Amino acid sequence: MSDTSAIRKGAVIRHQNDLYVVTFFQFVNPGKGSAFTKTKMKSLSSGKTMDITYKSSESVDVVQVDYINMQYLYKNGLFYSFMNKDTYETVDVNESVVGDDAKYLKEGLEVIMATYEGNPVAMQLPKKIQYKVVEAPPAVRGDSTSGNVTKEAIMDNGLAVQVPIFIKPDEEILVNTETGDYGGRAGE
Amino acid sequence: MEHVNHIISNKKYLDLRFALVRQIREFFWAAGFVEVDAPTILRLPGQEPYLAPMRVDFHDENRTEFIGYLHTSPEYAMKKMLAAGYEKIFYLGKCFRDQESFGGTHNPEFTMIEWYRAGTDFYALMDDTENLVKKLVENLRMSEWVKELQESLENVWRNLGGNWQRLHMREAWSKYAGVNLDEYLTTEKMFELCVKKGYKPTEGESFDDLFYRIFLNEIEPKLGQEIPTILHHYPTQMAALSRVSPIDPLYAERFEVYAQGVELANAFSELTDGVEQKKRLEEERELRHELGSAVYDVDKEFIEAVSIMPKSAGIALGVDRLIMALLGCKNIDNVLTLPASKLFKE
Repeated sequence: MSDTSAIRKGAVIRHQNDLYVVTFFQFVNPGKGSAFTKTKMKSLSSGKTMDITYKSSESVDVVQVDYINMQYLYKNGLFYSFMNKDTYETVDVNESVVGDDAKYLKEGLEVIMATYEGNPVAMQLPKKIQYKVVEAPPAVRGDSTSGNVTKEAIMDNGLAVQVPIFIKPDEEILVNTETGDYGGRAGE
Repeated sequence: MEHVNHIISNKKYLDLRFALVRQIREFFWAAGFVEVDAPTILRLPGQEPYLAPMRVDFHDENRTEFIGYLHTSPEYAMKKMLAAGYEKIFYLGKCFRDQESFGGTHNPEFTMIEWYRAGTDFYALMDDTENLVKKLVENLRMSEWVKELQESLENVWRNLGGNWQRLHMREAWSKYAGVNLDEYLTTEKMFELCVKKGYKPTEGESFDDLFYRIFLNEIEPKLGQEIPTILHHYPTQMAALSRVSPIDPLYAERFEVYAQGVELANAFSELTDGVEQKKRLEEERELRHELGSAVYDVDKEFIEAVSIMPKSAGIALGVDRLIMALLGCKNIDNVLTLPASKLFKE
């Protein structure tokens, strides 16, 4: 048993005889009452998502998972294929495990896969990923005076990111995967 | 360039933040409030059992050491001002709370507006809050340079600028938890209810803790989702610094505001009974001790002020969270110039 500080995105928790993977969590302290952690968790058996709120002092049954380094290969129908970097095996990962983070995947990207009894249950992306800009419209005169300091650019894997207006096609930039924000030019 | 990049990425939100803060001030000035100042370093901070004030060590010119705490809200100073004769006052500035998340809906330093009205009860504050939010939505709609956000935020603005609901705590429990709260307003009864509902409370849990088990899982997630909600009348056990309702003694005159899924504000018809105030602060001090939190002496000057202050109502509203709600942001970092996560964790 752990306390609520062990709740992390990708943590696997036993709750009422089922296993859940945490897909979202948020610490909340209302000030006039005790602090709590709101979570969204996905059942590993049914795939159903539910909202569970833990009080800060409550004990949480966090299940031990294994973390495996994997490299993204390609999309394969309803699955995403990765290579296990230790065994060189190809592993097909269900769409529901990758979730919204699919938009950050590009060939060769290294991720950490949490597995439970050999099955992938959650994917952790690097905090920042480098992409090449393939499309970035030139800045329009007057942009900065009307308050616009960013524009939409398209990365080499199709990801759309708001970037500063000085960014040009073919530049390499970093994207923050927690916020989806521009994270600077690569190598800066 | 992390810091500059953060500002560039969030400039569209920051520009609006600065405009909104100015409009909040204008709203209160136009309504006849005086903007006041309050010390941020206190010798005796608030006693809220679940808040952790940040400690500051500092010195006078002889290098004599003093220990202070950054205020978690300007409440004590403002009540001293009410006791001294101020009637309609607001403070808009930084407050500080330790042991909270960096990002999400918290940042260790955050902006709060707290306002007080002498001579009224908490119903006047419900009107103030609703009018303030509606005015800000109206201003945003008229603003030229939010066109980019306009389309995506139309639903948010229709929600915040439309009808609000006022929900009694008793109604909220009957609507979402299916029980008559009046029947469970003791620790024993609330414990039984938790067990009946399948929670696993431990022996000796306080009324608050038991109440929140059900409230946080069954009621709070539904508040403010479809329609901004003012949840009013908390059980007297959770009165904090509010007065007990003169017509319904099971409940205290306290409300919270929920909009866009977040809690925005907490308000009271203020307790003006110094003896009762001292008793509650001593109980809270005891609870802090049991929880293993730092304990402070009760501020005698504050008790004296409460004893002579007029009938009043006061509210604290998280400005960053209000801005997040108005701009559809899910992370407070997007509306902060440089959040703690950027300053301390990268």
